[in-house]
Amino acid sequence: MFQKGRVTQLVLGLALSMPVALHAQTAVEPIEILTTTEAYDPIRYEGAYMIAEAWKELGLDVTVSPTEFSTLLGKFYDQQDFTVTIAGWSGRVDRLDPQFYLGTLNSANAVMGANNPGGYSNPEFDEVFEAQSREFDQAKRQELVHKLQEISAPDAPLAILFHRDEVVAYNKNNFENMNAMAGEALYSEWVPMEAKPLTDRTTLRYGGPQSPDNINPMLANTVWAWKWMRLYYDRLVRLTPDVEVKNWMAESVTAIDETTIEVKLREGLKFHDDMPVTSADIKFSYDYLVASDYGYFNSYLAALDSVEIVDDLTVRFHLNAPSAPFASITLSQISILPKHIWEKIENPMELAPADIPTVGSGPFKFNQYTLGEFMKLDKFEDHFHADEIAVDSVEFQIFADSEGVFTAVQTGQIDVTAWRMEAGQIPLAEANENLQVISVPDFGYYHLTYNTRKPHFDDVAFRRALTKAIDRERIVNVLLDGRGEPGSSVIAPVNAFWHNAFTERLDFDMDGAKADLEAAGYSWSSDGKLQK
Amino acid sequence: MRNSGYLIRRFLQALLALFIIATLLFFLFRLGLPDPTAVLVSEGLSPEQRADVRRQFGLDLPLWNQYLIFLQNTVTGDFGTSFHYRAPVSEIIWERLGNTLVLMLAAIFVSYGIGVPLGAWLSWRRGTSADSWGIFFGLMFRSAPMFWTGMIAILVFGVWLEWLPTSGMRTLPYEASGFWDKILTLDFLHHLILPAMIVAMFYLGSPLLIMRNTMLEVYGEDFIEMARAKGLPERSVLFRHAARNALLPVVTQLAVTIGLAAGGQVVVEVVFSWPGLGREILNAVRTSDFPLAQACFLIMATFVIFLNLLVDILYSTLDPRVRLS
Repeated sequence: MFQKGRVTQLVLGLALSMPVALHAQTAVEPIEILTTTEAYDPIRYEGAYMIAEAWKELGLDVTVSPTEFSTLLGKFYDQQDFTVTIAGWSGRVDRLDPQFYLGTLNSANAVMGANNPGGYSNPEFDEVFEAQSREFDQAKRQELVHKLQEISAPDAPLAILFHRDEVVAYNKNNFENMNAMAGEALYSEWVPMEAKPLTDRTTLRYGGPQSPDNINPMLANTVWAWKWMRLYYDRLVRLTPDVEVKNWMAESVTAIDETTIEVKLREGLKFHDDMPVTSADIKFSYDYLVASDYGYFNSYLAALDSVEIVDDLTVRFHLNAPSAPFASITLSQISILPKHIWEKIENPMELAPADIPTVGSGPFKFNQYTLGEFMKLDKFEDHFHADEIAVDSVEFQIFADSEGVFTAVQTGQIDVTAWRMEAGQIPLAEANENLQVISVPDFGYYHLTYNTRKPHFDDVAFRRALTKAIDRERIVNVLLDGRGEPGSSVIAPVNAFWHNAFTERLDFDMDGAKADLEAAGYSWSSDGKLQK
Repeated sequence: MRNSGYLIRRFLQALLALFIIATLLFFLFRLGLPDPTAVLVSEGLSPEQRADVRRQFGLDLPLWNQYLIFLQNTVTGDFGTSFHYRAPVSEIIWERLGNTLVLMLAAIFVSYGIGVPLGAWLSWRRGTSADSWGIFFGLMFRSAPMFWTGMIAILVFGVWLEWLPTSGMRTLPYEASGFWDKILTLDFLHHLILPAMIVAMFYLGSPLLIMRNTMLEVYGEDFIEMARAKGLPERSVLFRHAARNALLPVVTQLAVTIGLAAGGQVVVEVVFSWPGLGREILNAVRTSDFPLAQACFLIMATFVIFLNLLVDILYSTLDPRVRLS
């Protein structure tokens, strides 16, 4: 009846089959790559398909979902409802300081709506990040910033796909001494001040498809508004094309101690309405921004505790904690507004367009802004830098798309393209004997971000393998005609001082990717599907 | 008028249609378009700052509350404040609507001015090579995409020959004290030629073919036989008797075309950087600018609805057989 041998056999059999059952692996879930529509950006669209092909080779189920741009942003930042998204950060001059881009890997920004949607969280990174933002000593800060790139690169929280080249053109018969700046190309704050006219016409005419959302310095929320307004609102310091801090309205900037910065103004500064610029205007401008609901500059002002007037031309900034970017970024980005005009305005965010004051103290003064058509500034003769400026006016013509801009630079209707040309226009511009084509690397980047909260993407080995399967070199060559540079760090190579060239690059290596997956315990089913 | 009860009823129907459209637009944009502050992330705004912006826009209120405010404002002709430009929507759109209408009406005037008599003439010469060529060109212009014809025209007349300006409404910089001051200039006409011709070419096919085909139908009618039998000259038969009767479908088409013209031809406005309503609609949808998008579409709807109403009324004048009842 009851046979002991049978029971033993049964138990043995069960015991032997158990490990097999435990090891029965399940296929890795399908991956959806969110990207832009082809119409919005063909590069991100095509790139997604190239990446999908490579990942399929790894045995993954991959679909590409081209998504309307603002829906894409909503899913990516607001809902964090994605597994993989291809997005980009534009290179704004204030982002040359490493604070912003490194901050996109800080776990404090992993909350919904903030700019670390992938949710990368590494306590060591957070700690060093905090330390670098307090470090005043440039050399020491550089070391910390390099270390941050070393810490994050092997974790592959995202794949930096490439830094694109900005290719723009200007009419070389009309102007010379046009020096492009990384990330800004020819629409920098310096080009209008440096350009030398070669003909009788002394008006420098830009053209571009982007225009300001509005020109209210207490309301504007786009970089295109500020690129224009910075020409007529002055700043205490400005960043040179080599990204050094240059004293501008300030005669000197001195750190009294770790949390006190003293700024002495030049003598004889004037607003465009002939009123003198004094320390009261400086204090007013900073206090006004801090007190308002206007959020555009809040991250720069977070470190500011109070502003103290020492004398007519001297102010002291008291910080609530040491802040490395304050003297460079904050002082170079905050515009000085005339107190005598703005203190009378009750609610600056509700100004009607016609009532928005346009008086600044910058090297150019406001002349005209016709919505959707045209903007114009004239040289401000009483500016301390006026003798160096050769043009009499700066114009900006607003076009509906880049095709219109390109036609206009060909026909001589404009002198400079403010925004990059399309790939197809570049060879035509190069063949045009009137045009000079200029290419500068961007320090902004396109990236593919993994949602590290999702299964398998929380596995470093999995992310590393997927990153290695992306042929960034090929993406640049095929989709950008070679006009760009494959990325490896959130700090671009062109940002030489902060970029760490010795981090792990995870370059394209299909076999390496497969070997990594295998080592991490992944295998392939009989029909080639990746499983774990 | 002949039947004021009918007119009042039609007018009320039109208002009801507008109300339904406004409601649909309101919910469609809010449910279909993403959060207007989503784009601010790339400008580096934190979640708290974006919440502030949403509050400024009134998007923190419950949807039904926003809807009531919207209805109340719309009835009083207040379209609210644009999220993107932060300026009153009405200030933005009236100027844009004017810019669009002046372009579209010029194009429609040209295309119908040429298309209607040409269509009548083609029907008279039916079966000849002139007829085949006329149909061929009408169809070709109708099917050629405007961005393409526009770009070819820019290349030829703007870049190679340098005869005509290729973008905008005026040579920049210009100063104008108002809309009429802006357009009552030779410089404006100079800028109008290329875009208006491209749109006119596109529109030409409709009146041309409709007129020609309806004329052919009318030729078979007894009263044409009668007119010929009376010994009226062929020209008189053609234009006095046949053409007038063939006009009805053309008028319908014209009204629909003018109605839709309020929205502009987005493609043409983009290719020629014409600062019109079509370009603004595109921007508004792109930036999730709900108030601006709603107002633009509402204006288009108003044009279409009321021009159709107008056509129905006109019909009774053009064709006494049609009675308003």
